[in-house]
Amino acid sequence: MAEMDNMGRLFFILSLPLILLLTLPLIQMTTEPGVDMLMQTLADKEVVMAISRSLGYSLAAGLIAFAMGTPLAYLLARKKIMGKKIIEGIIDLPIMIPHPVVGIAMLSIAGKNHPLGRFLSDMGVQIMGTGTGIVCVLIFVGLPFYINTVKAGFESVPVRLENASRTLGAGPAATFWRITLPLTWRHMVLGVIMCTARAISEFGAIVIVAYHPMTAPVMIYERFTAYGLKYSQPVAVWLIFLSFALFILLRMMSRSVHQHYR
Amino acid sequence: MIRLAHIGLELPGFALEDINLTIKEKDFFALIGPTGSGKSLLLEGIMGLMRFTSGTLHFNGRDMNALPVEKRGLAIVYQDFALFPHLDVTRNIVYGTRYHKISDPEIKERLDRLVDTLGLASVLGRKPHNLSGGEKQRVALARALILNPKVLLLDEPLSALDPVFHDGAKDLLKKIHRELDMTIIMVSHNFNDVMYLANRGAVIHQGKICQQGDITAVFEKPCSRFVAGFVGMKNIRPIGVKDGNLSAPDWALGIRLAAAPDNSHTHMGIRPEDILFEPAGNGPPVNRFRGTIAHIRNHGAFLDVRLETGSEVFDAIWPRVLLRDHDLCPGREVVFGFHPESVHTF
Repeated sequence: MAEMDNMGRLFFILSLPLILLLTLPLIQMTTEPGVDMLMQTLADKEVVMAISRSLGYSLAAGLIAFAMGTPLAYLLARKKIMGKKIIEGIIDLPIMIPHPVVGIAMLSIAGKNHPLGRFLSDMGVQIMGTGTGIVCVLIFVGLPFYINTVKAGFESVPVRLENASRTLGAGPAATFWRITLPLTWRHMVLGVIMCTARAISEFGAIVIVAYHPMTAPVMIYERFTAYGLKYSQPVAVWLIFLSFALFILLRMMSRSVHQHYR
Repeated sequence: MIRLAHIGLELPGFALEDINLTIKEKDFFALIGPTGSGKSLLLEGIMGLMRFTSGTLHFNGRDMNALPVEKRGLAIVYQDFALFPHLDVTRNIVYGTRYHKISDPEIKERLDRLVDTLGLASVLGRKPHNLSGGEKQRVALARALILNPKVLLLDEPLSALDPVFHDGAKDLLKKIHRELDMTIIMVSHNFNDVMYLANRGAVIHQGKICQQGDITAVFEKPCSRFVAGFVGMKNIRPIGVKDGNLSAPDWALGIRLAAAPDNSHTHMGIRPEDILFEPAGNGPPVNRFRGTIAHIRNHGAFLDVRLETGSEVFDAIWPRVLLRDHDLCPGREVVFGFHPESVHTF
């Protein structure tokens, strides 16, 4: 490793408060419960179920974002469409608006007072208090992360490569399948991980739409308000471990994408 | 035969206007022009990657305008070669074969022949990022040629190459044209490359064709000041012509021409390589001047020499050997001249 010069040392000193702000609470939180307490928590079926739900719903949100967000990301990256900037602004909106507002907005169209709510109800689809509702809000909050990552991936593939494929006889679909997709799949995996990771931590929107079935963030909140810090901490620690593992995976994927295009 | 009639293409801030071109079978046709003149845009239009907004494009009598890119039977080699980075050389070369109903034995036979012709045997398993510029170009050519296209389009195929690969690549293109007996349309801004490779061509400037025809004729008889400058003619001066007699109001020297100029001509020019150094005074008996070397720019094999005679300035290109044999240097007085045939009017 290169030796740190004076500027490097100064920047390190300036960064230190931020590093401490991030690490100290986490270190305290993860070390406080002790291994026995953590293992006991893991033996609690409700905890396992809540974490499994968080994982399952988040992964479902990530996969739905992949299936439906990929065409949208391609359109935004490649085609001239009317109101493109407005669409991009709307996609970014969930990053900025308070997440309880997302939940309230979702409920307002899922209720009986809204034609869509009535239609869904007639079709037997319930949003309020169901896993379906939770997945819906998780897609809402996670979609910007998927779309923006994959759009950047499509933009990084030179149009000239797609044109070259067309000139060699491949149609638009074959070109997408044989050129565009292989060059962007890492971005798609990254996008799914980003979307899923964001969804795992979601609390504000979920608590409005579906307190039950209980996900891990809601359980942490419930145990904190009902029993205090000691009982909420172990669940939070397991959730932190899970998120940490996901982000390690994300970093490894990022490096892989970088090397691919080097 | 490819025929473009009254072709137009409008983009924000730029347009191709009333392009009329005829490219004959087996031509090596060059579209020449400075950067931003519209030559690559025209090539992409022929290929079908851009849609012409007016005019017709016919290939052997068949209207091509409505055909999508993949149905035109043309192949293109880009300036940056556009090799697929995730595929190795072999898979790059055979990429298009599945869309052209070519049998497996035929693919293998064509691949072997191209690998042999283009010297690609040692790089077949490599990915494009592990290839040199020259190797990339040969792979791009093989990828296009394996489909036996009716017409091969080359978009600045030599400009991305290191000088060390440049001449070899030119020879290769010439060999491909000669041996495969195919029509080639090449876009280039380098007239030296074009002179070596092409038999016919068109000069394009600001979206319009300025001159087209036999490439030697474009070189020797440019029709406008722009084309003259583009093909390397220098010493360009405005002239007046009345009843076949030349007057050059901005030029104090008397210039003799080989033939009476056309009354419509407004300029004359002399190629710098046609201005001859005459140490013994045994050059052309007319158009001979005594002057001083103002400066010399040494390009290695040849010299750019600026000569001043009175208030007039001539730019000449002389071989480097003169520098050694005659001790040429700025300030030195020399005799130079040019043949009446070297004076072109347009």
